[in-house]
Amino acid sequence: MIITKSKDFQELMDNIKGYRSFFLLGCSECATLCGTGGQEQLQEMKQALEQQGKEVTGTFVAKTGCQVLGTKVELKPFKEALERTDCILVLSCGAGTQTAVELYQDKPVYPVNDSLFLGNMTRLQMFDERCSLCGHCILDKTGGICPITACPKGILNGPCGGCKDGHCEVSPDIPCAWVRIYERMKRLHKLEEFCQMTLQAKDWSAAQKPRSLYARKERKKE
Amino acid sequence: MSFREALESGKFLITAEVGPPKGTDVAEMLHHLQLLKGRVDAVNATDNQSAVMRMSSTAVCKLALEHGLEPILQMTCRDRNRIALQSDLLGAWVLGIRNVLCMTGDHVLAGDHKEAKPVYDVESVQLLQIVGALNEGHDMNGNALQGAPQFLPGAVVTPEAEPLEPQLIKFEKKVRAGARFFQTQAIYDIEKFKRFMDFARKFPVKVLAGFVILKSAGMANFLNKNVPGIKVPQALVDELKAAGKEGALQKGMEIAARHMRQLKEEGICDGVHIMAIGMEDKVPQIIEMAGL
Repeated sequence: MIITKSKDFQELMDNIKGYRSFFLLGCSECATLCGTGGQEQLQEMKQALEQQGKEVTGTFVAKTGCQVLGTKVELKPFKEALERTDCILVLSCGAGTQTAVELYQDKPVYPVNDSLFLGNMTRLQMFDERCSLCGHCILDKTGGICPITACPKGILNGPCGGCKDGHCEVSPDIPCAWVRIYERMKRLHKLEEFCQMTLQAKDWSAAQKPRSLYARKERKKE
Repeated sequence: MSFREALESGKFLITAEVGPPKGTDVAEMLHHLQLLKGRVDAVNATDNQSAVMRMSSTAVCKLALEHGLEPILQMTCRDRNRIALQSDLLGAWVLGIRNVLCMTGDHVLAGDHKEAKPVYDVESVQLLQIVGALNEGHDMNGNALQGAPQFLPGAVVTPEAEPLEPQLIKFEKKVRAGARFFQTQAIYDIEKFKRFMDFARKFPVKVLAGFVILKSAGMANFLNKNVPGIKVPQALVDELKAAGKEGALQKGMEIAARHMRQLKEEGICDGVHIMAIGMEDKVPQIIEMAGL
């Protein structure tokens, strides 16, 4: 899921100081799991804004805020509240914020959250980055552990000289990705493969921004 | 004799490191180069070592050439993508630089520009492959070059890394990628280093043992605690302690000289690489003490 963190409240207030009324839009998926855009956070934000003398014309938690058409349909009943508001505040990721930008071209839309990374939830509201969405997966070659993400240097052919007792030179809290890969390959009896393999310089063209994909068309081609 | 010829001759090699200045004043560095002239087979110019921004290593290599020393260009992958690396390599060759030490490079978080975007488009093994491609007359994508370099590619290794086996596997990958010589992280335990050399001797590469001179027991403890892959045995720490505050540096130099002599006399490796880190003026004396 997309991991988000609420912006500093003062930063938000500075961004929206010119506006008086707000519509709050959350998301029931990632932002709810992150505790940054669920029903509860929308109510808290409503109260905080009202305490600052602002008006909240309406609130809504979209089912999936990054889904443009679905969100458009869901927001139909809020037409009046959305017309009346000076500004829309989005409590989800940058994708959700830009859904609102697309749907309401004449309204200012502001992000309440910072979007951080694609994460795995390891415990309640505890998230780890494991995939960088690089566009061409190499987990098949690295024992299922991604060095592009798990190694701060993203290197592809074994640990650098900064590995200390199995930990990273960047922080002792980060286990060395390549020691993890080595240990996993050993456990899977694939050490020979690990030794023989030299990964070539990565083709980053698959990560060239902005990316888009029309999956139905892709499937028809096949 | 060029460094390549020295390497191929089988003589015991001596290389030393000079750190480019932070700024444009090269007077002190030129003094260090003068001290090393005629005493070493080649001099390494470090590439923004520890990710601290300094003068370019290519410029320092050129200065070394002008002052009659053969340079080894240290090149890291931290600050340049594959286009810049290849371009700088071609430029280095026409300036007269013949040796390149391929490294991944310390992370920007270690240095004085922690906000920088680290590059690492490629890493050490792939950089060695790139040097190989240029040597063959084409870029890494197979496009023909108009005039090709003939670099002598080198790499680094940490013989006392913990855990060691993944590092040894990487050493082998570097050999396969074309490394002809290795300069190691600082070593302090000759018995352990011998075990590493038992492995390294299986490959047709030259190994130069790394030296960082110990100035005090405190420095040894600091290295043990903070620097990956450096392990100063307790016996040496005790030796430094016993030498007292006044005698510690002399003792550190003696230890280095003793180890260097042993490496040469017993034919354990092919040479030494001295990383003086602020003690460049002591290097000639250590070489003399070691009888190299």
